[in-house]
Amino acid sequence: MIATMTMQDLGMPAVAPTTTPTMKAEGITRSFGSGDTKIFALRDVSLELYPGQITLLMGPSGSGKSTLLAVLSGLLHPDTGSVTIQNQDLWAMTERQREAFRLQHFGFVFQGYNLFPALTARDQLEMILRWGNGASARDAREKTDEMLDILGLSKRAHLRPLQLSGGEKQRVAIGRALIKQPGFVFADEPTAALDWKHGQHVIELLRAAAHDQASTILVVAHDSRIIPFVDRVLLLEDGVLFEGPEKPGELFNANPVQTGY
Amino acid sequence: MSYALSTLWYERQRYMPAVLAVAFSCLLIALQCGLLLGLFSITSIPIDESRADIWVGHPAVPSVDLGMPIPEAWQSYLALPEVERTEPYMEGFAYWKKPTGGMELVLVIGTRLGPDSIGAIKQLTPELRTLLSEPSSIVIDEGEFARLGIDKVGDTAEIINKRVRVVGTVKGLRSLAGPYLFCSLDTARKILNPPPGQCTFILAKCHKKSDAPKVVAHLREFPKKLSPFTTEEFSTHSQLHWLFKTKAGIALGLAAALGLLVGAVVTSTTLHAATVASLKEYAVLRALGIPRWRMAMMVISQAFLVGLSGIIVSLPVIFGIAYLGNVVAKVMLPPELLGGAFAITMTMAMCSGLFALRSLRHVEPVTLLR
Repeated sequence: MIATMTMQDLGMPAVAPTTTPTMKAEGITRSFGSGDTKIFALRDVSLELYPGQITLLMGPSGSGKSTLLAVLSGLLHPDTGSVTIQNQDLWAMTERQREAFRLQHFGFVFQGYNLFPALTARDQLEMILRWGNGASARDAREKTDEMLDILGLSKRAHLRPLQLSGGEKQRVAIGRALIKQPGFVFADEPTAALDWKHGQHVIELLRAAAHDQASTILVVAHDSRIIPFVDRVLLLEDGVLFEGPEKPGELFNANPVQTGY
Repeated sequence: MSYALSTLWYERQRYMPAVLAVAFSCLLIALQCGLLLGLFSITSIPIDESRADIWVGHPAVPSVDLGMPIPEAWQSYLALPEVERTEPYMEGFAYWKKPTGGMELVLVIGTRLGPDSIGAIKQLTPELRTLLSEPSSIVIDEGEFARLGIDKVGDTAEIINKRVRVVGTVKGLRSLAGPYLFCSLDTARKILNPPPGQCTFILAKCHKKSDAPKVVAHLREFPKKLSPFTTEEFSTHSQLHWLFKTKAGIALGLAAALGLLVGAVVTSTTLHAATVASLKEYAVLRALGIPRWRMAMMVISQAFLVGLSGIIVSLPVIFGIAYLGNVVAKVMLPPELLGGAFAITMTMAMCSGLFALRSLRHVEPVTLLR
């Protein structure tokens, strides 16, 4: 089911990656603590992300990956630096403006599924459209059913999280991130709690969203098996960002263990 | 609302204490107020069971059972086109000397006894009225024998050294304070010994009952300070007097308030705990840009549903206990009282929901990133 369905089935044209960045971060610094205990999680990080690309951000534990994701996605204020999207500085906005911006443009997938235990898979997705976009019950239902079809969960739509497997729960969580067709998707360790078979499904879904929907997708992960599925790899170590190899797949094929992540 | 309902049903074990607390509050408020209403409706029995449309008393009269002497001649003030007829009404407390020893405070009520009598209670049958026309005859409630230290109809006792005889009984007219003794005007005067030409109230019957408020308004304009009431006004006036003057009203009111407080604390705590348990889910919604008010509405909807469920649960219990309670006391549950109890309970539940909203302050999406 997953292999046969693409984002194009939702009526969105496939868009080839372009060279114009959709997100530009410059001089990002973020520290925690103060005085002698002050620790720099990010040191003067600059990067550009492109539409139609899935970018993998790797690094050892404590390297600042999640902090960078939080800053880029408007969840954590940097000490210095800017994040520019569509000529707007995310961190020059008011909290309310940033919230509205996230609603319009951002989708999130977290390591924990964080699904409401009492709600069915369908409810979890419909809720985003009804509460976020003010969609009518009918529209929300139609779009949700289409998304559940893409996720291969049509026959599991009526089930609650407790009745779903880990892979199914993460697919619902991805559906929740993609249902409003965001321009950007941020995924934090989306495959960490899954076996490789289900992890591969999840990363394929994200890849489909990037390539078919022209979304800009940033994935933070430890799992080097993801590398062949991404378009670009960024490496973060001690808060300093490095560009990965131009062809990530070759890195994986050459010596996956030596990536060290 | 549907998400809130799904959550409430799926996690019903979690919400059950709150539903039961609300039901308990609603039950306490309704029954305490119903009991209070029933209790104080007893104080206005002589008014409610009479045929009078208007009661005129002393300017300082606080309640029907605390009447003071007024001139019978005041009947002339009621010589109005709307008034059909008037009559004097005697009433006063006296000490009943029990044949078995001891004293009991009683309320003597003397009225005219003819078929057109305005003040005689409706329960006095023609046979009883005939019997009461005999001097020193009285009628009591059938449940008052033990309190008065007598056994049966025909027994005699003394009131202020005047012998009286019980000639019959009526049902459902037990009093809150001293037992009611129903008798003729002459018997009442003999027992109470008022100053000549004085009575306790003047009662009036209008040609049309709907004219009573107009007549009362007219009487209130008199330079002579009368204290005129329509029957309904005087009934309420008497009940409110006892409600506010006695500690019973305060005690029952405090018990109801305590029930409300317990309900509020349990409901608020349950809703707060349920919200805290879903903080991560709410944090995802916040990350996705869902406005905070949507989540607040979810909590408020849950509070509303908890309130509604509690009220529904309480209904059969309220009626069941009221039914059983009516065996030993009088519990009145008019629609206005039930509506008020539901409104107060629902307000309490909604306020608990508002209080539980503080937990949403802890929703912070960045905590989801590890």
